[in-house]
Amino acid sequence: MVPEYKSKSYTHIVWILLVLVVVVIAGVYVRAKVLPKSFGEFGHYRGDAIFDEMNRPIRNGTNSSCLVCHPYIREMHLNGVHHTVSCEFCHGPVADHVKDGKVIAKLPKKQGKEIKRLCLRCHNQIIRARPKESIKMISMPQHLEEKHVRTDHICNQCHNVHAPLMWVKEARAMVGVEEDSK
Amino acid sequence: MMKGIEQEISRDRRAFIKKVLGGTIAGSLLLVIPAGAMELDRIPEQIPGMRKEKGPFITGRKFAFIVDITRCIGCGSCCVADKNEYKVPDGNYRTWVERYVIDDHDNVYVDSPNGGLDGYQEPRRDLPHPVRDTFFVPKLCNMCEHPSCVQVCPVGATFQTEDGFVLIDYKRCVGCGYCVQACPYSVRFINPETKTADKCTWCYHRVRKGLLPACVNVCPVQARKFGDLNDHESEVYKILHQPHVISVLKPDMGNKPSLHYVGLRREVV
Amino acid sequence: MSPEHGAAVATALTNYVFPNDLHVHWSLMIVLYPYITGIVAGAFIVSSLYHVFHIKSLKPVSRYALVFALAFLAFATAPLLNHLGHPERAMNMMLTPSPTSAMAGFGYIYSAYAVVLILEILFIYRPTLVALKKKARGGMKLLYGILTMGSDNLSPEALRVDHKITAFLAAIGIPMACTLHGYVGFIFGGVKANPMWATPLMPVIFLLSASVSGIAGIILSYVVIRRYTNKPIDMDCVRTLIKFLWGCFILDFVFEMLELFSHAYMATHHWEALRDLYLGPLYWSFIVAQVGIFSVIPFIALGILSLVKLSDRFVMKWGSVLSAMILIQVLLMRWNVVIGGQLMSKSERGHAVFHPGFFTKEGIVVSIIIMTLPVVFLWLLSKVFPFWLDDDPAVERQSA
Repeated sequence: MVPEYKSKSYTHIVWILLVLVVVVIAGVYVRAKVLPKSFGEFGHYRGDAIFDEMNRPIRNGTNSSCLVCHPYIREMHLNGVHHTVSCEFCHGPVADHVKDGKVIAKLPKKQGKEIKRLCLRCHNQIIRARPKESIKMISMPQHLEEKHVRTDHICNQCHNVHAPLMWVKEARAMVGVEEDSK
Repeated sequence: MMKGIEQEISRDRRAFIKKVLGGTIAGSLLLVIPAGAMELDRIPEQIPGMRKEKGPFITGRKFAFIVDITRCIGCGSCCVADKNEYKVPDGNYRTWVERYVIDDHDNVYVDSPNGGLDGYQEPRRDLPHPVRDTFFVPKLCNMCEHPSCVQVCPVGATFQTEDGFVLIDYKRCVGCGYCVQACPYSVRFINPETKTADKCTWCYHRVRKGLLPACVNVCPVQARKFGDLNDHESEVYKILHQPHVISVLKPDMGNKPSLHYVGLRREVV
Repeated sequence: MSPEHGAAVATALTNYVFPNDLHVHWSLMIVLYPYITGIVAGAFIVSSLYHVFHIKSLKPVSRYALVFALAFLAFATAPLLNHLGHPERAMNMMLTPSPTSAMAGFGYIYSAYAVVLILEILFIYRPTLVALKKKARGGMKLLYGILTMGSDNLSPEALRVDHKITAFLAAIGIPMACTLHGYVGFIFGGVKANPMWATPLMPVIFLLSASVSGIAGIILSYVVIRRYTNKPIDMDCVRTLIKFLWGCFILDFVFEMLELFSHAYMATHHWEALRDLYLGPLYWSFIVAQVGIFSVIPFIALGILSLVKLSDRFVMKWGSVLSAMILIQVLLMRWNVVIGGQLMSKSERGHAVFHPGFFTKEGIVVSIIIMTLPVVFLWLLSKVFPFWLDDDPAVERQSA
């Protein structure tokens, strides 16, 4: 005897197709709902991401953004051989100092050994990897010995960090010494 | 009166503010500093005309980045500026400076302690043979014409704009790290704070506001140059149209970088 | 040759790793992901050997292999989700798959494969599920109601249609299983920046090692489960599986060695760095463990088991041991490819170091948990889908 079945021989296949169709339609609907509006505007990406990146806050200014409020330093810095050195390299980003036109905090001033370390980042002869013409190189402690000063001297005791040759030139002018070495 | 105050400001803004705060200039309504250099995005333009560009893409310009390794002194200013600009978490580098040392046996030794962020204070003392030559090589995003990172990003979170910048959508990035693997230059990393991919953008946000990339702006010896190749007066145009040794990194990768190196040596990868 | 040969001399002075390469981004999770998908693809192929290629001796494991595949498939994405920086955005892969990305297709290939596998299981098990539904009560009756898809029709006509659909699903299942895993291989093989990964052999090796791990997983679990439940073991089936395991492993091992050999023979500018990698950081995990112990021994021993007349007891015992060794070999291979490939910096002048954490987010404990989950799920599935013909009510009824 053939058993009686409540369902047809293809009922389950209909159900499967139905479920698959519903899943696909739901998928298409959800995609349309959650996709950011500007996606695909210019390519396979969210167009507004360009503006997100464009509006990232600027943290480093330029030397002019610093010197406009520090005219005394400006005078020295721009007339010295360090005029290409960035203020923010030694002092930190201007965004930590000024916000919305107001001073929010003081930037740290390097002191003592830190100054020497900063100077030697560029001027250390022994690194040897530097183009000869570009900047003046010195060896430590030979430089201090040559100049007949104590070897624990910090660079800024002789060199104004903003205009390294300013005091040297002034001193020479005062005592009338000709430049003997470059 | 007004003119006098303005003169006073332009002569010494800081002293002026002090006077204002000290009450020397009585009844001043000028406590708010006139719009100018102190608003970061209104610093005088270094790339003229950029602030007029309001659309999604920069028009009429083709920016290029040139690194002159014959000038680099390895001071690490660029690395410091970069870290400050983006607050890059320690141990990750949007840009870094490598030191190459070649000895007289043709051995090549490279190092980049902390990406050059602390500068190079000491010479390499661990080498067995006399040194023949040494030089520094700054690295950053190559801004490829055919970027591998864009190709592999599964969700379209890394993309190339029509003006040639390769940027990241930090809101869509899933942090799979495929782009990190795919970049031949290893300029990408997963930012441990945002948990998304991150990399150098040539300071897109600064450029769009007329400022040079932070690293270019701080370089004391102009080893890093950024400019418009469509402007025949620009330094980058002139460099690329003069007989220099100019090359790109890993040219066989086929990525066509827009980052060019002047004086690139064969030892550099 | 000493393990540190070349590597130590070269790296002590020149070891330069790009600063961003010091951190290995693809961790243990990305080792497990191809391992799990490989087991899925391999197990499905075992089932297809019976359902499509009519290898009759594999009938005892033909249905079990499908459920086994499902148990692992269910957790194939677990390591990926744990690895993503933003798992909550994982659906972006389905919403905006980039047409140029080798990774973007995974969501769709994986889903399509899951649908085929689930349907294949439901159709093959339908008579069984209908019989079980009649016996079941409460929640189980509801579950079987859903699994039988509202139909209790077992008429010859319905079964004939079912059989056609099953054969069709199994047939499209094979290319899909191959696609799924060959594709996983391409995710690595398509990374041109990494000379260790960037070889057209990578998808082939992944596919072959997938088959190997799937077959080995079926042999080991079949023998263990049957012994544990005190049921007879069909030795004809085990012997056939071992022959297939050996055959696939010959190809797998040969291609793995061929890849290494062609790197060494062509000796391009990448080779120096690759050699230092294999002889340096990968010496123990690749040369000693993967090749020396877990490839050469099974390679020879499986040949002996396949060709020499040996007692059932011996074949059963050593077949399981060798299957376990093969499973370890494939895991080691995944490790050496995924982690090994990242250890070599793109500077090609040095390598990074990677030690998986123990309790970290992507550490060893989490890895063990993730590898245990499919086994637990398989046990749960055994409560719903009878693995074997000898505890199937539908089969009993037919024979009775």
